[in-house]
Parts: sequence; C-alpha cells; structure tokens
Amino acid sequence: MVNNNMIKFGFLLVLTFTIIMSVIGGVSAVDTQNVCCEKTTNGLFCQDSTADKCVSSDGFRQAPTACRSTSFCKLGTCYDSDKGTCASNTPQRSCLEGGGTWSATNPEQCSLGCCVLGDQAAFVTLVRCKQLSADLGLLTNYNKGITSETQCVLSVQNQDKGACVYESDFEKTCKFTTRVECSGTSSSTNATGVGKSSGIFYKDKLCSAEELGTNCKKTTQTTCLPGKDEVYFLDSCGNPANIYDAGLADKNEYWTNVKTKLESCNPSDGNAGSKSCGNCNYLLGGYCRASTGIANRATYGDNICANLNCAKTQNGKAYKHGESWCVYTDSGSFGKGNAPVGSSFYKHICINGEEVVEQCADYRQEECIEDKITSTGVTFSQAACRVNRWQDCVAQMDEKACTNADRRDCVWKPGKYAVSNTAGSAEMIGVCVPKIPPGIKFWGDIASATTGAATTQAQILGQVATATNDYADEAKAICGQATFKCTVTLSKGLFDGSNDAKCKDEGILGNGGSEEDCDCWDDEKKGVKQSWIDKNSAICMAMGDCGPKTNWLGSKGYTDGYKVSVASVEEAKSSGGGLFG
Amino acid sequence: MSKNYKEGFPYFVGMKKGLKTKGQVGIFVIVAVVIVAIILVIFLYPSLKSVVQGPLNPESYLKDCISPIVKTTINELGKHSGYSNLNEGYYVYDGEKIKYLCYVSGYYKTCVNQVPMLTSHFEKELDSALKPRAQECVNAMVDEYKSRGYGVVVGAVSSESSIMLNKIKISFNSPMSISKEGVQTYKGFDIYVDSQMSELLSIAENVVEYESTLGDSETTYYMSYYPNLRMEKIKLSDGTKVYKLSNIVTKEQFIFASRSLSWPPGLALDQAGKI
Repeated sequence: MVNNNMIKFGFLLVLTFTIIMSVIGGVSAVDTQNVCCEKTTNGLFCQDSTADKCVSSDGFRQAPTACRSTSFCKLGTCYDSDKGTCASNTPQRSCLEGGGTWSATNPEQCSLGCCVLGDQAAFVTLVRCKQLSADLGLLTNYNKGITSETQCVLSVQNQDKGACVYESDFEKTCKFTTRVECSGTSSSTNATGVGKSSGIFYKDKLCSAEELGTNCKKTTQTTCLPGKDEVYFLDSCGNPANIYDAGLADKNEYWTNVKTKLESCNPSDGNAGSKSCGNCNYLLGGYCRASTGIANRATYGDNICANLNCAKTQNGKAYKHGESWCVYTDSGSFGKGNAPVGSSFYKHICINGEEVVEQCADYRQEECIEDKITSTGVTFSQAACRVNRWQDCVAQMDEKACTNADRRDCVWKPGKYAVSNTAGSAEMIGVCVPKIPPGIKFWGDIASATTGAATTQAQILGQVATATNDYADEAKAICGQATFKCTVTLSKGLFDGSNDAKCKDEGILGNGGSEEDCDCWDDEKKGVKQSWIDKNSAICMAMGDCGPKTNWLGSKGYTDGYKVSVASVEEAKSSGGGLFG
Repeated sequence: MSKNYKEGFPYFVGMKKGLKTKGQVGIFVIVAVVIVAIILVIFLYPSLKSVVQGPLNPESYLKDCISPIVKTTINELGKHSGYSNLNEGYYVYDGEKIKYLCYVSGYYKTCVNQVPMLTSHFEKELDSALKPRAQECVNAMVDEYKSRGYGVVVGAVSSESSIMLNKIKISFNSPMSISKEGVQTYKGFDIYVDSQMSELLSIAENVVEYESTLGDSETTYYMSYYPNLRMEKIKLSDGTKVYKLSNIVTKEQFIFASRSLSWPPGLALDQAGKI
C-alpha cells in the first residue's frame, strides 16, 4: 500500500514536473521563435529576429516568417518632398516615421532629369533641381528629356560662355556667365521666367576686356572654381578670367579673350606644385587648392595646383592620385590552397597625396585583386576587394569544374585521395580545394573570445549566438572534410626469410590497386609514411584554418593540428591502416 | 688713456643723478595720465566702445556669434551619423556611437534602409540643437546694443536652420527695432555659414543606396569623383562597415555604419536567418 502511494506520488510529481517544464519550454520556444520584426528592441526596422526582440507596442507588427515574405516589411521607395530625394529599399514604417511618402514602386516624383546650374549640371528630381537652383540663386532649368547622367553633363559643356555686360548704379559692369543666364531667361520645360536684368552677351570675351569698357579690371588675385581643376585669375569685379599663368599676368591680350585649357600653360602636365602655372589636371594629380605655407605659394594669388600624387608609400613605390593596389604583408604565402591563420588582404589607395588603407573582409571572405591599365606609356593600377568564392570547392569532382574561374576560386590538387566523412568513403583522383582557404572561427565561445568592441556590439544588438558552439562545430565539420584513410594489408611471405609483415598493395581503400597505393605505409618504420602525412596535411590546410598551419605572424600552433592513428582492422591477417584527420 | 677715464667718470655720475630725478617725475606723470584715462573710460565706455569697435551691425554680430556654434554642432552631429542622442540601432566604434543607416541581420543578404530621409533628419537635429543657441546670440546682441547706449525692442525670437548647397542657412525670425539717434527696424536675419555637409550627406545617401541594392560600395570611385572627399571604409569582423566621410578642405566629417551582404566565418548556414 505504501509502495503504491509512493508510486502514485512519484508519478504525480513527474507529471507535474513534465507539465511545468513543457509550459516553460513552450513559452521559451515562442520567445525564441524566428520571426520578422517590423521593429526590433534595438531600434532597427524589418529584421529577421526572435519574437522576444520585437517591439510589440505602437502598432509594430511581427510575423512568424522571413521579412521578405511579409507585407508590412515590403521594401519600397521613400520620397522626401522637402528635399526632393528618393531612397529605395526602405520599409514603409521607417519612411513614414521620418515624415516621408512611401510607395511600393518608384513614384513619378522620383523620375530624374537634367538640372542645369549655370555651367554645371545635376541629374536629379524636379523638386531637387528647384531647390539647388534656389540655393545658387539661379532660375530653374530642368530638362526631363535627358535620361542619363552622362548626357546631362555633356549638355552643359557646350554652352556659350562669355562676358555679360549690363548697367548697375549708372555704371557699366560685367558678369562672366553663360548666354542663357545673361539673357535672363531659362530654357526650362517646366519653369520659365525673366531674370533680374538682361545684359549684352559677348561670347568668349572676358569681362576685363578693355574694348568692353566695363569697370572690371585685371588683378593678380586667383581663385578655385567649383567643378574645375584649374586655378583662375580673378578680375576686379570678382569674375573668373583665364587660367592662372604668372608670365601673362599683365598681358592685356590674356585678359581679353577666353583661352581654352589647351591654349593655356603646360596643358599636357598636371602642373602639381607649379608656382607659375595654374593649369592643373586632376587626372594627372594636380588640383586647385589654397596654398599652404610660404614655400608652396604661387607667384601671384593664394591658390596653387596641389600635388595629389603619393610620392612614397608603404611599399616604397610612388602612385598616382586615384591609384589603388593590393598589399599582403602577413607571414607566409597565399594562393594555391595556402593562407596563414588570421591573415587578411588590404587594399591601399592613393588619394589627395595620402595613402588610405582599406581592409578586405575578415576571415579571408574577401581577397584583393589588382590589375594595371597602360595607356600612352602611363600605367595606372587599380585594386578591389572581391568575395572569395571558396564555398563549393570541395563539391567539385573534376578539374574543369574546379578551376572554372567564372564560378569559383579553387585549385585542383591531383593525386589519389581516400576521403572518409559522414557520407561514407570515396576514392578520388584529385581534390578541389579553396585557392585561398577561408578563415574559420574555430574557438567556439563567441562571448568570451571576441574583442571588446565586438562583444559590446553583440550585446547591444542581442547578437550573442543562440548556440555558442555553432562556430566550433562548423570548424570541425569544415576541417573534418580532410580526413583521409589509407587501408593496407600487411602480409608475410612464406619464403622471404623475414619475420616482418610487409605492405601488400590492395588499393587505397583496400579494394585492389597498383603499387603506388601502398605509399602510406613505411615497412622500415612500421608506421605511416611522412610523405603521405605531408601530402594530406596540405589538403587539410587548404580547407581553412585547419591542420598544421602557422599564423599570420609565422608562429606555429600549440598542437600539431592533425592526428594520425593506426589501427588493426583484422589482426589475424596482420592488417593495418592510417587515418589522418 | 687713463686720463680720459678719470675725466669722464664724474660726468657720467652727474648724468645718472639727473636722470634719476627726471625719471621719477616722468613715472608720476604717466601714472596720473593712466588714472585719468581709466576714469574717462569708465564714464564714457558705451560711446568709446562704438568708436573703438566701430558701429555694431546686427547681421555681422549674429554671424560671428552663431558661426562657431554651427561648426561645432555640425562636427558633433557628423560624428554620430546625424544624431544628437543616439540610443538605439548603433555600433560602438572607438568609443563613439555610430548609427546603422542600413542594416540586415544574418548573412548573405543586402541591408534595409533605416534612415531614408537622412538630410532632413540631420537638418531637424541641427535645427533643434541651434534653436537655444540662436536665442542666446540674439540676447547677447541686445545686451551689447544696450551696453552701447542703444534702445532695443525685440519681439518673439525664433530660428530655423536649413542645409543648403555649400552652406547652412540660419534664419533668425526676430522683429527688432534699434534706436539711438534714429530708429532701425529689422524683421529678421538670414545668416549663411559655409559648409560642405550637404555634399557629405548626399554621398552617404548614395552609399546606402549601393549597400542596400548591391551589398557594398566602392570608395575609390567616390573619391575620384569628389576631389575634396576622403572616404574610409572600415570592415569589422561581425560584418559591420564603418564609413568615415570627410571633406579635406573644410575638415567636416560624417560617420555612419552599415551591415549588408556580410560573410560569416566558415559557412554559418544555420546562422543565415538569425540575428
């Protein structure tokens, strides 16, 4: 009876415990269910997250599906009617909260046209054009008919420019401008109007031309103009004149007619640092800037062609402005299935006389690629960080597919390999491995192993991984692909007079084969051959941060990075085998 | 040689004595003049101030007052992606909070635009930061006029800041009349401060457009296109990219973060959809 009651009590206890646990478990499961949050508790719109990280107040929604499948997180265009700008890939709620107008498709207001701003142009919306024109004190000149930015820019380059002579305060004065602006009218399709004053336009004449009889005279002052590379002289009315040339500063002819860039001083040179010539060429490393220091002053004026090229960089070479190149300074080599642990690629850029460094993505998920363009004897280097497409290398079974550079970044390692993994064993005539092995987060415990900043960030965004060993498990799986097995049969001959068993070729999987299949076993050493270990460890290292690798500083790991084990399969026949992993 | 020395010696002694007496008188005179000058300055300070500093111009006064404040505010806002009080959706980099303008959790996906109206947002933040300072500037100007003996009548002061091409406009809507010998009346003042922030914001918007559409942007192209732009992209191990845009002439900067099309260590297939 007592036993019976105890059993019943015990049963009840277990049942109650089970129910409580299942309820707790149920609640927990709901909280950690993957959902789409219209807004997360971290203030981010439309993120795939867990239910407990969704904001449920203020009408913010969530759905147990991916955000791309929901209606409330559909991405569309957000139109800012104040600024006339449009932003794509925007969720409705983030747009409305900012005061914008959201639409699933590109609205009419977002269609672009050419906005002429004096001798400059911008390919923008009509509202933006009106605003830019107002900012510059110009009449709106908008052309919807121009449908590309290139056309738009070209359309303003052929505008007539010259001296616009008019009267102001009973004095004959002048403004150097375009014909359209001078006449005070706009050729806009949507906005027309007459300007403040209409002057007489003299094409290709400078305001300082004596024949015009204006109050604008030559000076020794210079200026930099928006959108122009060169240093320009200024006349006494503040109008730009010709390109600065110290030798022609007081020559009347140079202050009369407009000279083109080619007609000005040293047109084929960048003129960087020249004190006498302001014909800067941006593409050749010269650009108009205010002078800095007495030594860098031009003969006249406060502006000079600044030198934007990099005379000496980290690698000791000189680069031109805009050039970029790849740098790999870590210990050890890379490519052909090699890359030390922790190594990464860097792209260096020469900009404004300064070397800017840009790291490619961590874990060698990006590599740096570089090429040179040579034109008229001048070489220009360009580099970029490109995604390392290593992911499907090991799935390639033949060399052609493996080395298809359009699809993946892999190398083919010929030779016989017996690969043993969860899918079983297979004999292969070669292995396809990543050309640049990816980095792997093999240390597992994310919260304790990441850097301070990253940990802080992970906590801020609630990104501490749900399973801390996910990365370590995956690292094992990736490296585990390079587990090789060699089965050999050791046999003793009846008449060879030796007591030692020797390797008998039966193929690398023990299914019959040539002599070379016995190359994993060293009869003398009675163990696995070092050459076999080296060959397979190379494959192992090519899988990622696996095997006996050194790190980016050239230091070895604390362990060998692999394990070789020999086991007798059938002792009666004195068989043995090597397992590498 | 020695004779000359003996003859000359008494002469020098006598001269020293005379100088000493004259010097003392001179010092007394100078002290007296300084005392009189101080008394005059105390009594005639407002009028003297006008003479020494020149006539006071309300527009120049406001510009001198607000310009450094605008520059400081812009720099401060620019460092935090246009947010004065950033408390959500940010990344902590070098101890500074940087807003994610585009973000996606997980891997292999392009980001979602988080702040679609960036320029308008920046403008609002700038406006609310400058409003109290604009009021302070007007008050200081009124005090200055009063200290110079002017009569000043000021209506309700309000201000509005807007980001324009190559400049920031601060509109002081403060009806004001200033009187002394005559009366001058003002409806308000428009102050312009040179700034390239509109260009930086426009570039940031464009980068976000690229990040959300293609997953990444190429800094070299931007820097080649905008000669005065310095653009840094710092890639962090969790997939976050910190962009630092700065104008090398004006030294203004705008910093923001983005997380788009990031690649995990290994494959992280099980992490693809999670945050």
